[in-house]
Parts: sequence; C-alpha cells; structure tokens
Amino acid sequence: MHPFHPEYIITALLKIVPYVGITLLMMLGTVIFGGLIGILLARAKIKRRIIPRAIAEGYIYLTRCIPSIVMLFIVYYGIPFLLLQFGIDVNHFSKGVFVITAFSILFASNLGEVFRAAYLAVDPGQREAAVCSGLSEFQAFYRIVLPQAAVHALPNFSNMLVNLMKEGALAYSIGLIDVMGEGSLLIGMNQGSFSLEIYLAMAIIYWTLTLVIELIFGRLEKSLSKGRKHATSVA
Amino acid sequence: MLKVKNVSKAFKDNQVLKKVDLEVEKGDVVVILGPSGSGKTTFLRCIDFLEKADGGEIEFDDIKTDLNHASAKTIEKIRKKSAFVFQNYNLFANKTALQNVTEGLTVARKVPKAEAIEIAKKALDKVGLSDKYDSYPVQLSGGQQQRVGIARAIAVNPDIILFDEPTSALDPELVGEVLKIMRELAKEGITMIVVTHEMKFAQDVATKVVFMDGGVVVEEGSPKEIFTKPKEERTREFLMRILPDFDYTI
Repeated sequence: MHPFHPEYIITALLKIVPYVGITLLMMLGTVIFGGLIGILLARAKIKRRIIPRAIAEGYIYLTRCIPSIVMLFIVYYGIPFLLLQFGIDVNHFSKGVFVITAFSILFASNLGEVFRAAYLAVDPGQREAAVCSGLSEFQAFYRIVLPQAAVHALPNFSNMLVNLMKEGALAYSIGLIDVMGEGSLLIGMNQGSFSLEIYLAMAIIYWTLTLVIELIFGRLEKSLSKGRKHATSVA
Repeated sequence: MLKVKNVSKAFKDNQVLKKVDLEVEKGDVVVILGPSGSGKTTFLRCIDFLEKADGGEIEFDDIKTDLNHASAKTIEKIRKKSAFVFQNYNLFANKTALQNVTEGLTVARKVPKAEAIEIAKKALDKVGLSDKYDSYPVQLSGGQQQRVGIARAIAVNPDIILFDEPTSALDPELVGEVLKIMRELAKEGITMIVVTHEMKFAQDVATKVVFMDGGVVVEEGSPKEIFTKPKEERTREFLMRILPDFDYTI
C-alpha cells in the first residue's frame, strides 16, 4: 500500500483542470445535438400522429436499453465501418466526435422527455389566448408557451446535465482525454502510485462542476420565473 | 356581419353540436343560454377555431370559409378581427397586465410599441385597473384578471368579442365588477356573443337570446320573448329551474 500524500491532490488538480474544457465541450455538443433530436422526439409524442409517434417510442425504447459504454463502442467502431461502405473515411476524426455522437443518441430520449413534460406543464389556454389575440401558432409558441415551458424544464434539465457529466467520464474508454482521461493517464504515468490522490482530485472537480451547474440553473430559474415569484404577495 | 351555419361537432361518439346556426348583426349582444353540456361553449370555440368543427360554414364580413377546411391564413384573419374572453381568463402568465394587452397589438398587428402602450393603458383604465399596469396575473384577483382579459379583448378594436362564461370562475362578489364592464361595452355598441348563466345580464343587455340544449338551438328571440313567453317546453323547464320567480303565463 502506498502512503497517502494529500499534497499530491493539488498537483493532480493542477494537471487535470485544463481538461475540464474537454468535458464541458462534450456536454455542450451532446446537449445541442441530443437536444435537436430530443425536440423531434418530444414533438412526435405530443402531436400523436401514429407513424412519427411509433418511431419516437421505438427510438426511446431502443436507446434506453443500451448502457453508455456499449453505445460508445458501437458508435466508435460502427460508424466508421458503416461510412466506409459509402467510401467516407472518418477514422482520423477526433474521438470527441464519436463521444458526442454516442451521447447525443443516448441523451436525446432523456432530453425529449424533459421537453415534453415541460411543454405539457403549460396550460393549453395560454396558446389559445395567444392565437385568439391574433398571434400565429409559431408566435404563440415562442413568445408565450416556450418561455413558460423553459422554466418548467430547468430543474430536470440541470439534473440531466449532471447525469451526462458523470456518464461522460466513460468516454475515456475509447481514448478521449477529458478530466477522467487525463486522470487515468496520470495514474498510468505514476505506475499506480497516487491513485487515491488522483481520484480524489477528479472527485473534487466533478463536485465543483455539479455545484456550478446547480448554481447557474438555480439563478436562471429565479430570473425566468417572472410572474411566479410574487405568488405569495397578492395585492 | 357574422353568419355561422350548420356547425357540427362530435367528441368521439358524443355529438355535441348538431347543425347549429347563428346570425349576428353589427351592434348585437347575443346571449347564449342553456344547461351545461348543451354545447354552448363548444359552439363559441368553433367560431374562433379553438375547436375544429366537423362541418359548417362561417361568413364574417367578406371572409367566407368552411369551418373544417379553413386555411391557417383564413383562421388568422378571422382571429384578428375578433377577440375572445375566457372562463379561466388565460392571461399570459409570463407577462404583466400591460404586456398582456400590448401583445396582440405589437406582435400580431404590428402597432408601434409606444402607440400600443398608449392604447393598452387606455384599455386598462377603462376596466378600472390604472394602478395594475405592471402586475403579473398571479398578483391579481380573479375579477381583476378577468378585467385584464376584457382590456386585452377591447384593445385590438375587434369587430366582435366572444365571451365564454366570463364570470363562471369568479367568486360571487367579484361577478358584479366584470358584468358592469360588459354592460358598458354593450352600451357602446360593441358586438358580442356571450355564453353565460347570468340571467339578469341576458334580460337587461341582450338584443337576442339563444337557448341551446342537447347540441341544437331550441329557440331564439328577444329577451322579452324568451323570458316572458317562451314557445318551447324545454325552454320553460330550464327557465323555471334557473329563475325562482319565473312565471311564463305573464
């Protein structure tokens, strides 16, 4: 057993912190692309047309059953192979692309459910009042329904981000150098010494990230819930 | 001015409207009465395309269309010429009273912002809410919210205002303030269709009373005709239950 060197936690932190950007980039990419698929899924489930709805349900069922690490490898090995059949070589692409693809596919269903629940939480009368005021369906959606749905979506969305951050640590298994990847490299370079210190350093980083996410979303929720916050002080 | 014909609507197996007709002239105050479940609200909602009717036509000034095959553009045109006051107010929860009123002006009708604010303030003053411009709906009582709803409706200067049981969700002591404003609007000659259970309002203000039951118009006429000598047995039964002092032999 190696002796414990708490001061090495600081050394490890300094080495790993520069890779926080990669972790955040992975999350951002996933939210953007997963979000786009998620919007389509939510729409398909809300609109209740049979075929899009069946596709959405099928998609959610299939992706929900696959562990992240399995999806990562399927995408990492599968997509280059698939595209090569069409003469497109993506083997030199950054690993980040595959990581974002895999997590987008997986988290689209979570995001879709977050969006759908948030949309349904807005009283249908809000849309009705908007279109009766002469707004088009699109104006009614983005000016009246969306701002209210966003407030409902925020708590679930920030939960989902924290989940994504944790699952994202698996990306090191296909060789992405993010927080987890750099930590593992450090452990390797030290031939296993300071493992505990390095893992503690990583835990501190993930704690901090979670804290920041929750703070940001707490603030956002407060500032966006106009017309809600004075609910107790009825004039 | 407004003619709707043969409006039919079913929810699954339940035929809510069976070929309902209605004609409204400019300046009319049409009050639709009837027991709950008679299709009054659904009928009103079909006129503004909040429910899609299964069949029927609408003729609104120069706009003429089928109720079930209307294009999005035509629907928008009809909605811009009309206004709707809801039973549950449906004020935009994320907007202040003033913004609730300006929304339909600036966004839907491209009125310049400063002008819209002027119009909105006037409308809110008219319903007695000069001190509530910046209040959010949650900060207002039910009666105040409904008055904002009416301000939102009159601000766009519509050809017709549709009222869907505007006082049904209110505490009894708040009903009066809303009815008072509606009486004023009627006096000014604003055309309205009002679905309500307020018999006194119907008797005093209506130019035409329509009695609906079971998805059809049972009878229609002037308040005097309906309230003092109804022709149909069904109307008599209804009025007898609703009005304690109703006596149709007068």
